[in-house]
Amino acid sequence: MGLVCRVVEAAGIATVCLSTGRDLTLQVKPPRSLFMNFPMGNNFGSPFDPESQTRILRSALDMIYEVEEPGTLIDWPEPWSKPFEYFTGKKR
Amino acid sequence: MKPISYVDALNSHYGSMGFPPYEWTVNDTAPLFRLDKPLNQCRVSLLTSGGISHCSMPGFDPDARNDHRLDALDEHVDSADFVINDSYYDHSDAEQDLNCVFPIDRLRELAAAGEIGSVAPRFWSGFMGRIYNRTKVIEESAPAFVAKLKEDAVDILVAAPA
Repeated sequence: MGLVCRVVEAAGIATVCLSTGRDLTLQVKPPRSLFMNFPMGNNFGSPFDPESQTRILRSALDMIYEVEEPGTLIDWPEPWSKPFEYFTGKKR
Repeated sequence: MKPISYVDALNSHYGSMGFPPYEWTVNDTAPLFRLDKPLNQCRVSLLTSGGISHCSMPGFDPDARNDHRLDALDEHVDSADFVINDSYYDHSDAEQDLNCVFPIDRLRELAAAGEIGSVAPRFWSGFMGRIYNRTKVIEESAPAFVAKLKEDAVDILVAAPA
């Protein structure tokens, strides 16, 4: 996904990536990333929480204008509600 | 909580299954396009790689490898009309509310409120995980995707990997 963002950005369309894998994202270096320290699949937070989903989406869109350094990653400041682990195929 | 080290976790998970070590892409630089149009005039689209398909289409292969399938989804699609097939993440929350991984309702609300200019005529789902042939992404699949975004006059793409 980061690779796709890099190609899209290079073609003149601004991109922002909502990442849940911090180390993976730092390696691939998409143009702009908002790192969510949330489980994979909860990039925009919890179900039925439109207020948080909108705040996250709005912050991602703001990064289009605020980021000046290519490859910037910003850490979303709010923690996930409970500890979570690398997903190996079992549902939680 | 300290972020999960996915590189270590994936190396050991797939190593234990007999896969050869993954050759991670490491980039030192990135492109950056400076948009000179205000957000309330911009057209925005969304891309997910979470194995999310409209119920009118066949589902994604949950164990896909090198699947370059990319579905176009009409901007007016109902967020309840989706199925998720992907064995690489826990999508139980997303099955209840698609917006926690693919916020199409939230984007439409921002357009209705005038915060963004418009929602693009198509959302996108594809580039599902474990694509090993990355050269094909860079040289073929992603440029083909760019052409579609340009057809739709998209200014901003919000991408959510899963």
